[in-house]
Amino acid sequence: MKKNKETLNIAFLGLGGQGIITLAKMIAESALDTGKKVCYNEIHGLSQRGGSVQSFLRLNEESSPLFASSDVDLVIGLEKMETLRYLYGIKGHKPKVILLDYFEIRNTNYFGLEVFPEEEEIDKEIRERAEELYIFDSENFKKQFKGNFIPYNVGIFSALTTFEELGITEETGEKIVKKLLGKNILLSQVNKKAFKEGKKWIKKI
Amino acid sequence: MSVKRKNKIDNGIAETEEALFMGNHAVVQGLLEAGVGFTAAYPGTPSTEIQVRLAKLHEKGQLYFEYSVNEKVAFEISAAAALSGVRSAVIMKHVGVNVASDAMMALAYFGVQGGMIIVAVDDPGCQSSQNEQDSRFWGKFAHIPVFEPSTPQEIRDVIPKIYELSEKYNMLCMLRMTNFTSLSTGIVKHKPIEENLSWNGEFVREIKYQIPARYLLHKGLHKSLKALAKDPLFEEFISLKESSSSSERLIITHGAIYPIVEYMAELYNFNGDILKIGAIFPLNEEKIAEIVKKYKYIYFVEELEPYLETEILAIIGRNKLNVTVFGKEKLQIPYENSLRPDALKEAFSRIVADPNDDSVFYEIPDPSPLPKIFDSEELLIPRTLPRLCDGCSHRGAFYSIKKATGEDFIIPSDIGCYALGQVQPVDVGDYWLCMGGGLGTALGMSKVNGKKVIAIIGDGTFFHAGMPALLDAVEYNHNITLAILDNSLTAMTGGQPSPSSTTWKRKNFNPINLEEVVKGLGVKWIKSVQAINVKENVKIVKEALEYQGPSVIIFKGECVVNKLRNMKTPVKPLSIDQDLCTQCGNCLIDFACPSIVKEDGKIVIKQDTCTGCGYCAMVCPVKAIK
Repeated sequence: MKKNKETLNIAFLGLGGQGIITLAKMIAESALDTGKKVCYNEIHGLSQRGGSVQSFLRLNEESSPLFASSDVDLVIGLEKMETLRYLYGIKGHKPKVILLDYFEIRNTNYFGLEVFPEEEEIDKEIRERAEELYIFDSENFKKQFKGNFIPYNVGIFSALTTFEELGITEETGEKIVKKLLGKNILLSQVNKKAFKEGKKWIKKI
Repeated sequence: MSVKRKNKIDNGIAETEEALFMGNHAVVQGLLEAGVGFTAAYPGTPSTEIQVRLAKLHEKGQLYFEYSVNEKVAFEISAAAALSGVRSAVIMKHVGVNVASDAMMALAYFGVQGGMIIVAVDDPGCQSSQNEQDSRFWGKFAHIPVFEPSTPQEIRDVIPKIYELSEKYNMLCMLRMTNFTSLSTGIVKHKPIEENLSWNGEFVREIKYQIPARYLLHKGLHKSLKALAKDPLFEEFISLKESSSSSERLIITHGAIYPIVEYMAELYNFNGDILKIGAIFPLNEEKIAEIVKKYKYIYFVEELEPYLETEILAIIGRNKLNVTVFGKEKLQIPYENSLRPDALKEAFSRIVADPNDDSVFYEIPDPSPLPKIFDSEELLIPRTLPRLCDGCSHRGAFYSIKKATGEDFIIPSDIGCYALGQVQPVDVGDYWLCMGGGLGTALGMSKVNGKKVIAIIGDGTFFHAGMPALLDAVEYNHNITLAILDNSLTAMTGGQPSPSSTTWKRKNFNPINLEEVVKGLGVKWIKSVQAINVKENVKIVKEALEYQGPSVIIFKGECVVNKLRNMKTPVKPLSIDQDLCTQCGNCLIDFACPSIVKEDGKIVIKQDTCTGCGYCAMVCPVKAIK
């Protein structure tokens, strides 16, 4: 298989309501702002109702936002089970993984299960399937915010400015957060803070 | 006689700005740049974003848009505009075209004065639909040209061209998209349109609309299609991507998956050319035969049905071309589901390895319809099933219906959020067929099975296609109960107004009173209840079931997503008093809100997702939930 060196293929995985599509959009807007080609796709079906949400983005590419799982460079997971589901489907290739330290406890009756798989088990499987693993510390990030609304997606976007391959500078990032999420005065303050704080809470495992 | 349009149309592709557009938004941009002043739709994912944006433009006064009661009405309203010389568009998902098709098939014979596009968005893989039908077939069936752009930029670019062709040949046209093209976002060069577009037209009588000998129009239609196929502007929709070396191999594919095919060809170093067909119907036989005859091996790569494969094989036959053909009929490309890159891996690796490999590339999958619990048995990764939202009012209605019916009832459900009531552990509803199909089949179920049947429908679906069936139930005294779950919204598609919506701000509209409609259809037994009163409602459901003949219960409860959207104060989550809780499981298993989970052996409410709706507190027998 041929690999296009210029193109960066990113997969975003998580659950409805986590802001995955917005995260992909923030990266795409940053690329547009810096004059790069970009495209992305969203797969969300019944996402508002707790379903899987996936988004696929390609930097320096404008035709097909979808790519083969064996061609993925970077996996950004906002929920552990959803991330493992995707990693499990990749054969013979290990991507770089950025993972939000979040595992959703679900009502097992929805799955006809006695128990849901253990978080430790999922962690171990993810670690084995990643070339490099970066964890975003959800607990410590959460402490910066009061109330129910925790903008993890903006936090991760902030952390992504530290990854050179994406080429997003802090200035661009800040501008994009303001452009996309600056309309609601109350939330724009929270998002601004999330962008300022986010990069502190990512670390390589 | 033709009618003059008032809007000045600039069909050039002047471009002044670049922005990110998803395919659905590129449709709106294309419509604006083509000067389309009149639009209508019925909500349906994956086409919804087009409609939401058009509704906003309507509120601003830039064009006319309405959420019609169903796709057929939306189509007819738009058809009237086109017949009066106004450029119009009607937007729907693939199954909506089935509803609109009665009018569509006949309008094709009339032809149009102002250009008209029907936008049909297919859902391969059934991400949010009951089937994955292939709308490309409508072209040949209804005699309408079908266009299929590949990227957001192309979508924006082709729409003005389609209107030009629609008016030149007086033909209704279809813009066919899929969940891939509609939900892919890319950078689009475009020209922002700020001015208001007119939708005033003038209908001019023509004898052809009146005459009974419609076969004459059918004849004219065939003539126009032949001429259109050879129009230079139409020919632009067929393009050949040649590899550097002269090749014996050709992939033939269509617009909606062309980007994926191009990507796979590059990934696997496919040494051959790719023919992209961006206009599915009519096909220009001479041009296609001319291209195909240069190759030895032809590979058809299509998503869903082998439409081009069948059509082009006929062209190959008529032109006596000597080529080896690969495709779906020989099980070398998967028939079902969306063709994402991973689904094409096997096919591409085989095609590239050996052009003479004529074996079957993939097995027909196990036809068992049972969904798997695990994506992987080895790792125990459970499927993430869709479910009703935390705090959904439907869950209250389901709880009452479940307690009142027990195991003995046939419960047809319908298309909408409440179809998710069928998922374990809520488990209310036996099947969902099509819009309004739950009620329609309930009438027959009750007759044939000789017992009362309770059907479930939402307010939007009831107005869309449920009313005729309810009228039938009254007319023939069918022994059914209809539960209308009224959240005053078309919720499944993200929250668009239904005819009874009062919370939705719309200009010049009269909210419809659901009870009055039901009474007007002749129903004698009707009760309107608040869904949250789960215990009292059990009794009311039982009464309705005992009534001989059609009875209707309207469960009222606001859509929680809409409620949270408009809430001014923060959510107050509930919690379970562990000293009182007897672990009976009523809330966890029977009511089954996703916010209620078992953690360390105790039933608890997740504080970050609870919406404070209070339904579970009504369900708890020992009042432990506060």
